[in-house]
Amino acid sequence: MTLLARDPRAPFTLTPPIATRERSLRGYDLPLLGAALALSLIGAVLVWAATRDTQQAAGLNPQAYLYRHLINMVVAAGLMFGASRIDARLLRLFGPIVYLASLFGLLLVMVAGTTINGAHAWIRLGAGVEIQPAEFAKLGLVVGMAVLFTRHLGEREEDQSPTTREILAALGLIAVPFVLIMLQPDLGSAMVLGCAAFGVLVAAGVRARWTVGLLVAGALAAVLAVKAGVLQTYQLERLGSFIHPNHDPLGASYNINQAHIAIANGGLFGTGLFHGPQTNGGYVPEQQTDFVFSVAGEEFGLVGGALIIALFGFLCWRGLRIAREADAAGRLVAVGVVCWFAFQAFQNIGMNLGLTPVTGVPLPFVSYGGSSMFAQGLAIGLLEAVRRRSTAP
Amino acid sequence: MASPRVPARRPPTPRRLVIIVALVVSMMLTLFARLYYVQLLDPNKPVQTAHLLHDGAIVLPAPRGLILDATGRPLVANRIAHVVTVDRDLLQRRADKGRAVLHRLGALLHQPAQQLAAEITPCAPHVPAPCSTAEPYAPVVVAKRVPMSVVLAISEHREQFPGVSVNTVTLPTYPGGTLAAHVLGYTSQITAADQKQDPRLTDADTIGVTGLEQEYDAALRGVDGKQLVELNPQGYTVRFGRRIPPSQGDTLVTSIDARLQRLAQKSIVQQIHDSRQAGEPATSAAVVAMDPQTGRILAAASYPTYRPAQFIGGISNADYAKLMAPSANDPLLDRAIAGQYAPGSTFKLITSSSLVMHHEINTHTLYPCPGSVSIDGRVKTNYDSEVLGPITLRDALGYSCDTFFYVPAANEYYADQARIAHHKPPHEWLQKMAAQYGVGKRPGVDLPTAEQATGSYADRETRMARWKANRKIYCAEARRGYPDVKDAAERAYLTELASENCTDGWRYRAGDNADMSIGQGETTMSPLQLAVAYSALVNGGRIWEPKLGWAVVDGQGHVVKRIDPTVRNRVPVRQSLFDYITSALDFSRGWAVSGAFAYLDSPYQNRIGGKTGTAEVYGHKDTSWLATWGPTYKNKHGHTRAKLVLVGMVEQAGTGATAAGPMLKRIWDGIFGVGQKPVLPGQHAPRRLPHVDPQVQVTR
Repeated sequence: MTLLARDPRAPFTLTPPIATRERSLRGYDLPLLGAALALSLIGAVLVWAATRDTQQAAGLNPQAYLYRHLINMVVAAGLMFGASRIDARLLRLFGPIVYLASLFGLLLVMVAGTTINGAHAWIRLGAGVEIQPAEFAKLGLVVGMAVLFTRHLGEREEDQSPTTREILAALGLIAVPFVLIMLQPDLGSAMVLGCAAFGVLVAAGVRARWTVGLLVAGALAAVLAVKAGVLQTYQLERLGSFIHPNHDPLGASYNINQAHIAIANGGLFGTGLFHGPQTNGGYVPEQQTDFVFSVAGEEFGLVGGALIIALFGFLCWRGLRIAREADAAGRLVAVGVVCWFAFQAFQNIGMNLGLTPVTGVPLPFVSYGGSSMFAQGLAIGLLEAVRRRSTAP
Repeated sequence: MASPRVPARRPPTPRRLVIIVALVVSMMLTLFARLYYVQLLDPNKPVQTAHLLHDGAIVLPAPRGLILDATGRPLVANRIAHVVTVDRDLLQRRADKGRAVLHRLGALLHQPAQQLAAEITPCAPHVPAPCSTAEPYAPVVVAKRVPMSVVLAISEHREQFPGVSVNTVTLPTYPGGTLAAHVLGYTSQITAADQKQDPRLTDADTIGVTGLEQEYDAALRGVDGKQLVELNPQGYTVRFGRRIPPSQGDTLVTSIDARLQRLAQKSIVQQIHDSRQAGEPATSAAVVAMDPQTGRILAAASYPTYRPAQFIGGISNADYAKLMAPSANDPLLDRAIAGQYAPGSTFKLITSSSLVMHHEINTHTLYPCPGSVSIDGRVKTNYDSEVLGPITLRDALGYSCDTFFYVPAANEYYADQARIAHHKPPHEWLQKMAAQYGVGKRPGVDLPTAEQATGSYADRETRMARWKANRKIYCAEARRGYPDVKDAAERAYLTELASENCTDGWRYRAGDNADMSIGQGETTMSPLQLAVAYSALVNGGRIWEPKLGWAVVDGQGHVVKRIDPTVRNRVPVRQSLFDYITSALDFSRGWAVSGAFAYLDSPYQNRIGGKTGTAEVYGHKDTSWLATWGPTYKNKHGHTRAKLVLVGMVEQAGTGATAAGPMLKRIWDGIFGVGQKPVLPGQHAPRRLPHVDPQVQVTR
């Protein structure tokens, strides 16, 4: 109950911002947590189903991926809890740190990264642990932008549109990680980053001429990128195979076709867990990561697939509710996170269904993969922190 | 009251959130709609075809057809052999990748386990040899022709050898060893080139590469069977499907008589031994026996020989090196059909035919037989410069007088030169008669063309053509003077020859025609060609395209193809001349016929006839020839006919009477049953196709 804490512009203080009495579940949005947990548990089962047969065929532990997914979940839960305990009012303090740290990670990838599936996107920490800094960059950018737009809130009306200067600064904030990720090159992560940033811009009240203008500019840039050969061959192949799924059935189109077969195979109720021939046969490459949705589609059918989509819808709804209730900075963070999850889920499921190009983004919570799980855990924690702040007595 | 803990200003519900909500909702709805379509509505759902077990096939090689002799005895048969196969699939699925099994198997087969492991690894760009070229799911053969002890060890301890099985395969076997090896030929594994020619061939097949095996390969090979298997996507066999049994190749019945063939081969070996005992090099020999009335070949033997069994499943490098060694003297060459040699006096059949038919001599006039004659300043002598005085053609043939023939041959040459001087084409009657008898042409036997010698003779045209082609070489050699040749006399001879060839090599001389009249010079024939020529003598002048094959019989015992020799032409010789020659050379004349020397006092002496030949070969001992026919009989017109023609040739073994004579006598002894059971009942070729049992399908 200090003046420092009250004033959003107050300088950093060493006083612990979290009081003991607040160590309770009060203020947490439990449905949001539940949705994230449900998606992660579904993910555990799907990852298991996707890997057990091929692991067994290779003479490896069929449960290895399941266990690692569960461990990732535990770590992510810890990160989430930690993040949720942060006083959302201190965003201004840690926002720039998070942003700069994520940029540092991206730069580190440039220097010491490992190439997996054509993208130079991983930092190998040893002992089989690899970190994908782009996942954390999404979080860093959202938080960084939220701080930028709410820096001078006290000096103007809240629903005032951001100034041109702020918008240009925000575009600068976006551009640095975006370019670094494109250089990896990781088109999918860059697109997700762009969408999350776009959501923040919209929520910040940037005028329509800016947002529409940015969309048009983005589209033009994309066309130019294809024409000028900025995109890598494999990216163009993936894009091409999205448009012509059968043009190269053994190459770039293979993933799409196999995932499509798996999902179509599911029908209404699916083949049942562990009974999907397409999944068990190991036909869908990257099935535990980018194509994990195809496991759900095959083994749980329309019911399972719809449940996952619905859980994402629910999660986004809870996130947007938090945004609505939150103060300006919290709202921007919440919208950014929701846009991130929503677009990434759309992009991933869409690519499983042949709707969107194959760009290699994981399905949040569900896909196997430590970095994305940790970043998402932090993001949920942040949402909870915002929520706790706005519901605090 | 502005407690900081109370949200001081609840922001107005930001309108902008509505846009976000709309975007999120539309994305989720889009996904759901697409999912609904893909899973329930799509009328053309994609179907995984790969997950369906796909089919594979393990080739079951067809046993090759048998090759039988004229009486149904097998020359090439099949036998069951045990092979050890390893199923790599099964081994790979074991915890240790089958290492222990391969170790045990290696100990049993006396092979290192690593080698076995390499042999069963499917070939791939980065897999070094040895590797398996079979389909990856097909069991790999790691040991062929394994002894029974190995078979028992594996079958009795199956639990120790999972994935290892003992299978039976049919392999060709040659009951006669080297019997008729040259005409049978050998088989080899399929090569990439073979597969290019015939895509139906598989790695498991064998293909005939020489002899009858090659000539009748299409009939003998059979049709491979298939064991269809169903494979899971990883390529493991899940289920065995239909088994299409292989169908064995058709049986080839040949006119070869195994007993006569064996007798011929034994006699050759005996003769080589005897001639060597007598101090002659006797480097090689050949015998051909044919039926002059049908054109079928009853025996064709060649020495040195080889065992076709060496080639089963691929000949070892050591064995091949032995066959190819200079000391082995080319055992793969069939001297009887593919070899060509100066026929010497045996050629006088053709010379006599030409001279008499063109009225250059007649059969009743006495002509001189001096010890030597000089033709164009070169002295040509009789064998041992024998002087016989004026004699008829009858005695000239019987005693084999060379000078008798030199003079008319030289005269024919001068007459032709006179025609050329008058711008008329030369007659070259001797050459034309030789061509009529088949010299210079492939005999048309049913063997690969590369295995049929054409024989040769000299005439003006070919000599000119050859000189034009080689003049530069002759002249260069004449200039250099053979510095590599050590022997001074030989060096001088070769240099003189080259010098002569350089300046006058185009010139066909009287001496060349004289040489040809006694089967020397550039005249060469194969033993088979000589047999065909002498067949014409005792069959009314028919020149056969002889055949070894008689019939192709299918698995049910039905004749699917009859192979019959064809008459290529009739030599333009009157029957009375044939009768004159056969009577002149009948062994009943005893000492008056050089060929009869070995047959004096044999019980069948007056039933056969023959002509010797002793061909001089520069730098070598003489080639010994004997062409015989018998048993003779008169046909209804009273003309002399014979049931068999036997031609023998021994290289570097002396006169016809001393080497080829005794060699053929042992065979005639067998034919007439002298001191033994006759090998050919009735002294003639088997006349009816043998009964061929329907094949017993070999199962494995």
